[in-house]
Amino acid sequence: MKVLLKHTLLASVVAVTTAAQAEVNIVSWGGAYTASQQKAYQDTYKDPGSINFINYNGGLGEVRTQVESGNVTWDIVDVLPHEGRVGCDEGLFEELDRSRFAPAPDGTPMDDDIMVELPNDCVVPQIFWSYVPFYKAGTFKDAQPTTIADFFNVKKFPGKRGIHTWPNALIEMALLADGVAVKDVYKVMSTPEGIDRAFMMLDKIKDHAVFWSSGAKPLELVQSGEVSMALAYNGRIGAAILSEDAPFVTVWDGQVLEEEWLGMMKGAPNKEAAMDFLIHASTTQSQAEQAKYINYGPMRASAFEIIKKGEPWFHNGKNIMEHMPNRPEVMPRSVVASPEWWADYGDSVGERYTAWMGQ
Amino acid sequence: MALPIYATTGQRIWHYTYLAFCVFVLFFLVAPLVAVIPLSFTSSPFLNFTPEMLALDPDAFSVRWYKALFGICDAVDDSASTMCHNKWMTGAGRSLYYAVCSTLLATFLGTLAALGLSNQHMPAKRAIMALMISPLIVPLIITAAGMAFFFARVNLSNTDAGIILAYTILGMPFVVITVTSTLVGFDRSLMRAGANLGGTPTYNFFKIQMPLIAPGMISGALFAFITAFDEIVIILFIGGPDQHTLPRQMWSGIRQEISPTILSAATILVLFSVLLLTTLELLRRRSERIRGITPH
Amino acid sequence: MSTAPATVDGPLLTADGVPLKESLQISLRRSKMRALLLVLPPLLFLIFLFVIPIGNMLTRSVDDNLINDVLPNTFAAFETWDKKSEPTEAMFEAFYKDLRDADRTDIGKASVRMNYANPGWRSLIKRTARKIDKMEPPYKEAFLKADDRWLDQDFWRSLGIMKDRVTFGYYLNAVDLDYDYDKNIIQQDEERKVYNLLWWRTIKVSIIVTIACLLLAYPVSYLLATLPMRIANLLMICVLMPFWTSLLVRIVAWMIMLQQNGVVNDTLVAAGVLSDENRLSMMYNFNGTIIVMTQILLPFMILPIYSVMKTIPPSYMKAAQNLGATPTLAFIRVYMPQTIPGIGAGCILVFIVAIGYYITPELVGGKDGRLIGNMVAYHMQRSLNWGLAAAMGTILLCVILVFYWVYDKIIGIDNMKMG
Repeated sequence: MKVLLKHTLLASVVAVTTAAQAEVNIVSWGGAYTASQQKAYQDTYKDPGSINFINYNGGLGEVRTQVESGNVTWDIVDVLPHEGRVGCDEGLFEELDRSRFAPAPDGTPMDDDIMVELPNDCVVPQIFWSYVPFYKAGTFKDAQPTTIADFFNVKKFPGKRGIHTWPNALIEMALLADGVAVKDVYKVMSTPEGIDRAFMMLDKIKDHAVFWSSGAKPLELVQSGEVSMALAYNGRIGAAILSEDAPFVTVWDGQVLEEEWLGMMKGAPNKEAAMDFLIHASTTQSQAEQAKYINYGPMRASAFEIIKKGEPWFHNGKNIMEHMPNRPEVMPRSVVASPEWWADYGDSVGERYTAWMGQ
Repeated sequence: MALPIYATTGQRIWHYTYLAFCVFVLFFLVAPLVAVIPLSFTSSPFLNFTPEMLALDPDAFSVRWYKALFGICDAVDDSASTMCHNKWMTGAGRSLYYAVCSTLLATFLGTLAALGLSNQHMPAKRAIMALMISPLIVPLIITAAGMAFFFARVNLSNTDAGIILAYTILGMPFVVITVTSTLVGFDRSLMRAGANLGGTPTYNFFKIQMPLIAPGMISGALFAFITAFDEIVIILFIGGPDQHTLPRQMWSGIRQEISPTILSAATILVLFSVLLLTTLELLRRRSERIRGITPH
Repeated sequence: MSTAPATVDGPLLTADGVPLKESLQISLRRSKMRALLLVLPPLLFLIFLFVIPIGNMLTRSVDDNLINDVLPNTFAAFETWDKKSEPTEAMFEAFYKDLRDADRTDIGKASVRMNYANPGWRSLIKRTARKIDKMEPPYKEAFLKADDRWLDQDFWRSLGIMKDRVTFGYYLNAVDLDYDYDKNIIQQDEERKVYNLLWWRTIKVSIIVTIACLLLAYPVSYLLATLPMRIANLLMICVLMPFWTSLLVRIVAWMIMLQQNGVVNDTLVAAGVLSDENRLSMMYNFNGTIIVMTQILLPFMILPIYSVMKTIPPSYMKAAQNLGATPTLAFIRVYMPQTIPGIGAGCILVFIVAIGYYITPELVGGKDGRLIGNMVAYHMQRSLNWGLAAAMGTILLCVILVFYWVYDKIIGIDNMKMG
């Protein structure tokens, strides 16, 4: 017994300490997303062996701890829009020399090629993902849902609705469905009346709502017919359609886009190598390459040209363009989430939403 | 419990209703775990019994998800690359490492505490006992939150050492309880006899007390082990990306990419728990035999 | 051995000539010391890694030091303000100094805290702090150029809530109350009231689960206690197996059973009890939480009741029946009262564990099955409102400690048994 125990211990210690040492540590979300980054950026890099991907659960907690203690082991972090801004404001990320990034094939500098306004000099473009409504083909007999207002209309399109258990994107969608113009959404949301208006819209689906909190759930709900329509991450819907041939139909109206950025840790141990990799990862070609493995939209507009010309672009020989959340055709009816608004009002709206769910 | 032959019809009905109810409760306890096993052999990526499976169509069954669990990916699975990676195995390795280390530490410390607490001259016995057992009572979410703040300050968060220490705290109460209860039947005059015969206290401990409390230590250690092996709340709060344990992999499996891989993991864990349970039952019998308590 | 036996008036001596009383005391003291020395290492371990961290967390529920350290000048200037007229240049200058001198991370943390007092502070501070290096007097103008909300008196007045280093604001928030700008206690806005509902729901779920466990456990415990040992042990495995199986495995198992197209619904539809459209929703809601928690906590109820029942001699029931009681009467009047210690132990144990539950409601609770523990986790990890998380944790802990104390008084923790 003792010998056995000793061996087990020894084996596990060995297993723990033999993790490969790489030059540049990149921290990302794991799953299919990291896999797509590895294929698009690491495998095409001049020295793939020097890149090491690590998973994390988001947030700036660990970033802050490392920078404050001076013991920085990560080099590059994949962050959400809010963290990208706070991290730069608080000096947790390096400000980067923007002139070193590669321009688009037509010569446009990278920062002008990004489809949103650059929030600061720390962040490097990654992708857009979105919250978007979808349904299973054949669910509705005659008219098919085409707008976000249809999602909130249970009379015209009967059945339950799958929505998530936090308010992000739902407030925006409710206002869009209520007729607010895309450009006015955050203006309206910044008034108490605007929030009331959004909740009045949400009340219309309240009794028909099935709530989900994990990304795979809405697909199951729609697949099994438990709900007739649901909101989901566009990447999930696309993956189901592209890889599993699921009969899902996305309603490309009133989606809410979220940004995804890369940032370099302040005091990153391998600054120069990390910068070199960031330059590689943000080129138009790399951004387009990532779309071969996942249907998140490249942040650089020029990448779409490559994808369009290269169709069928997805790695299994399917067209990817129609699954891209930020393709030019759907942008006029999409809202890019405002991290500033959510930083200010996220807590109070979150509480109100929780109260609303539990009523 | 058998029904007397002279029972009335009413009594009979009552009796069988009662038995049926008990069967229902036992079924309620075990059925979900049993349902996992056949479903883990599904060939579809969904978590429900397909009509083909119910018709016992051999094509509806496969070991696809066991392969994924063990990190054996074939071409078919490669498209769904998220479902196939070796995180399950490395996670199990991690969990085993934390569980073994924390169990050893918890067993040592818990046994010390139990020996001290079972001394009839121990001052403030009740209060200390209450404190020693409190990690079982305080909700894990509170323990986890407290440790998250404190460990970050003393540079223990996101470290293996931090997790092992935290799990030791969770495991210790079990050892204290089980060892204390084996000491309840312990005859102190045995130690005195040993001393009379010239044994040193240490010698006497290992020769007299140790064999008697050993079953208690082992069953306490088993509790501590399974607690650490199965722990999910603390790890979510103080574990970093490098501390990716099996429960954490299951957690992200349930929350993000639910696939039947989790069922194959579950099946193995159910069998594992049956094994543990059998071990424990054998230990209990042995302990009773040594202490001269005959089974009723 | 020529020594005379000790006389009545002389002290009783031991073989080595020490008075017996003293010798016994020495040995008692030594025994006490040995016991203490044994207990000391585990006790210190527990205090350092468990008691102190939790105590430390609890202090966060009233701690408002950070903001006072970041904005000392501002609060000083705030005291001179009449809270009616337009904010003065002196106040802006004080704010400027504070923002200029403070660490950027601390400003970020302070702005998060300020945002609880008045939503909007975060972006206001952020926008202003970005321009702080280039600012020149007059600061009022410079601030207004950075963001025109600086004239909004609500922001300035909300400083009044944060000016003390000890705050009870988080406790108020935890029970749907709030401070107004003058630190009077007021009701939280109607549509933001969630916590009382959650407290109530947590208690409701714990009570329902406790009762459900008792109702299911009692008959089974009786069966186990009265069956022959060999069969009882076999059935006991059914009780213990879930107890020993990973919590997450059990939750996954229940998902398969209870989901819309799960085993239970499929079976009921196939049996014709339900139509396909009317499948029961038993998962991701209140019902799901209740069902799953009941199964998970059932062994905690069965084991104490069973162990008490084992000690009741069957002859008592027979005696009662011999004396003329019907079996039912004998059961209620003679047997049941003797099982009350087991019932008490089981109920308190289940209730204590249920009230702090987090993982199960998180995964199966859906919209209306989530409990206060989930809210603690939410504020710890997502909203990062640690003060509120600590305040809710403290309240929860106090409730549990009261029950723990009751349990100790009635049953005694040393009677706790495992397996």
